[in-house]
Amino acid sequence: MRYFWGRVGLFVLTLWAAVTLNFILPRLMPGSPADAAIAKLSQNGPVSPAMRASIEAQLGVPSGSVWSQYLSYLGQVVHFDFGVSYSYFPQPVSSLIGAALPWTLVLVGSVTVIAFVVGTLLGVVAAWRRGTVLDTVPTVGGQFLSAFPYFWIALLLLFFLGYVAGWFPTSGAYSQTATPNWSLSFFGDALDHAILPGLTILITSFGGWIIGMRNTMVNTLGEDYVTFAEANGLRPRSVAMRYAARNALLPQFTSFGMVLGGVVGGSLLVETVFAYPGVGLLLFHAVTNQDYPLMQALFLIITVSVLIANFLVDILYGVLDPRTRQ
Amino acid sequence: MSLLTVDDLSVVYDQGHGRAVEAVKRVGFTLEQGEFVGLVGESGSGKSTLGYALTRLSKPPARIAGGRILFDGSDIAALSIEQVRTQRQGGFAMVLQSGMNALNPVRTIRNHFMDVFAAHGHVPLGARAARAEELIAKVELPASVLASYPGELSGGMRQRVSIALALSLEPRMIVFDEPTTALDVLVQHAVMNTIRQLQATEKFTAILISHDLGVVLEATERVLVMHDGVIVEDAPSRRILSAPEHPYTRMLLSHYGDPRAAEVSVPGLSRRASGEVSVAAPTTTPSPRRAAREPIVVSNVSKVYPARRRGAAVRAVDDVSFTLEPGMSMALVGASGSGKSTIAKLVTGVERPTAGSIAFGDLRIDRLHGRRALKRLHADVQMVFQDPYAALNPLHTVEYILSRPIENFVELRGREVRMRVLELLETVGLTPAATFAGRLPHQLSGGQRQRVVIARALASDPQVIIADEPVSMLDMSLRAGVLALLEELRENRGVSMLYITHDLLSARLVTDRIMVLNKGVVVERGDTADVLQRPQDDYTVRLLDAVPNPARP
Repeated sequence: MRYFWGRVGLFVLTLWAAVTLNFILPRLMPGSPADAAIAKLSQNGPVSPAMRASIEAQLGVPSGSVWSQYLSYLGQVVHFDFGVSYSYFPQPVSSLIGAALPWTLVLVGSVTVIAFVVGTLLGVVAAWRRGTVLDTVPTVGGQFLSAFPYFWIALLLLFFLGYVAGWFPTSGAYSQTATPNWSLSFFGDALDHAILPGLTILITSFGGWIIGMRNTMVNTLGEDYVTFAEANGLRPRSVAMRYAARNALLPQFTSFGMVLGGVVGGSLLVETVFAYPGVGLLLFHAVTNQDYPLMQALFLIITVSVLIANFLVDILYGVLDPRTRQ
Repeated sequence: MSLLTVDDLSVVYDQGHGRAVEAVKRVGFTLEQGEFVGLVGESGSGKSTLGYALTRLSKPPARIAGGRILFDGSDIAALSIEQVRTQRQGGFAMVLQSGMNALNPVRTIRNHFMDVFAAHGHVPLGARAARAEELIAKVELPASVLASYPGELSGGMRQRVSIALALSLEPRMIVFDEPTTALDVLVQHAVMNTIRQLQATEKFTAILISHDLGVVLEATERVLVMHDGVIVEDAPSRRILSAPEHPYTRMLLSHYGDPRAAEVSVPGLSRRASGEVSVAAPTTTPSPRRAAREPIVVSNVSKVYPARRRGAAVRAVDDVSFTLEPGMSMALVGASGSGKSTIAKLVTGVERPTAGSIAFGDLRIDRLHGRRALKRLHADVQMVFQDPYAALNPLHTVEYILSRPIENFVELRGREVRMRVLELLETVGLTPAATFAGRLPHQLSGGQRQRVVIARALASDPQVIIADEPVSMLDMSLRAGVLALLEELRENRGVSMLYITHDLLSARLVTDRIMVLNKGVVVERGDTADVLQRPQDDYTVRLLDAVPNPARP
């Protein structure tokens, strides 16, 4: 319990630090968004005071002390009020993110979990049957596939499976003719669109899990407790899973936590290649269009989700490894 | 019929390209039901390899290359993997060397028992909890241990749990592979007693593998002495002691002695009650460079470690005072946790005392500030570490390892550094020095590595050497050589030495004064021979009783 509350405390502290940094950093930059917009306009001609006032009103010029700004900022963060986007004016940032987030969470999230589970299981088998075909094929194959740049895999899949064979749609999250709803047919359509980007992420990420798990488990197989379990005549499956794999899983979970936190950031390149309307694509648009409110909100959300994922893995680690609880 | 018949057994380690090293060479012996035999040899003798082969736990690259092992009349090599597995209940069991790692860190002790019961089904479901408690009581542990994770238990408790787990198989034979080696002296003694009692009451056949002939002779009725893969002597324990036949057995025996005796000697070193020392002829001409001129004065020193998450603060050292005079050698003895290594850290400035002062001449060690002051201290006070395998960087040659402190502490450069390296190697008896200078640590034996560690400590030409268990990781036959070297350095160079150990025999051999520490408190001090011959404190007596002594019935 003490471990749990310690982790909660640490989480709250880092969360506060991240939110505060997000407040401070833009204020450390010289000038303001309004100044930048006015400077741009003034290249084409003089800017009248009325224009200046309207731009400032549009973008919002901070008023009051830094402290009161900070408090109102915290209030906005709590209510998910991140202002209005420049590039998708006048849509609020929160609704843009709200629209993109589910697509990313479902696509990248589920594929990440599948890659982790499949890769780890293959790694267990590879280590347990070391030196056999069950070891060499997944290990070498996984290494081979994860060595490819994933946007290149994305282009290959897009070209061959999407364009040449025509099996899967090449862009978007659902057909242009469909409207999002909870019907089975829409679900099938969305799944159809998710397969190519999902496959890309799966192919390039599960090799790492295989190799990570295999190598850690080869080490735990050499531990005395595994030899002792064998000396006590435990069943091979029990030795492999409860003794060797169970301990090899611990470092594997640490890496999983880090990857999981990155899920919310989306898979920028894959989403761009497939024009998939997730957070990655949104971030890409925000950066190319200098959409500061959107960028700031996205960065905050990505940071916070990394923190949350690490917190969850920490808690899970406490459950999995009694030594951390002492 | 014998329970175990080993016939012409050879075990090899495959090294690839068709080459193999023979670790066990055509070994043969038989074991009767209920016998307790010892298997003794130094590191590399093949004793553990043999133990693993007997319990069919050999793993590649180890491979049985020839011969047969008959257990209860059947050839265990002929059994299928599943047959081997099921026969482990009621057949042969093994207790591994380091009880530290023999238990799964993420499973409770109770689950370890349940795993065994589930694997063999020899205890009915309803009786399992009671059986686990019964077994844990047999190894003298409270039932509350069952709810613990291995990490929550001490080394001795973990080893007892391992023994209880082996017993849960109801085996006819148990191989104990160095069951007490990694444990504290006092705990070692207690665990060995438990093993002996269990063997007597449960009547299993036991093989005790150990590097320590003393421990084996105390416990067993019969001893197999193994050297270089061959069993060189197989005789009743009594006869091994009274009339050892093989020169190797005699050599092993010669390294035992009673620290209480009036005169103690091992090959190359001996010491009489008066404290007079005789050392084997020095290998190099004495070159008294700089005798120790200044004492280390430790006054009323305490060290308290703040409380960790649970539990109270630890008072590792409690109001200790002593003076290490120039040229003196003093032993600091105690079981693990007695605070002896903490004192070494305080004296070398690695840690600061919570209270009290430590002075070396005009240098206040307890108040050192900055790198320069530390460097000044370490030019004169150097440390020899316990584990020569961990104390040397495996990536650097001996020459590099030795030249670093020379360049650091002594104003020598270029060719002179190399000359000094060779001189140091000769001082510690690694000759021809030129060939050792180019080697990497893994190309040296344990004894040679420890000599390099000592040479490194000598590089700055120190006045004081703090030796923390310098021989505990070494084979018996190598210990005397390293001890004699330390003694000789003191004789020839006037270096004073603080010798930290749990081994009273070696303390008796190389020190004049002794301090016995128990839980951070000095319980006894005085002339080494006096204290060990006429111990006043109960703790000193317990330490003395824990010294393995082959001659004791």
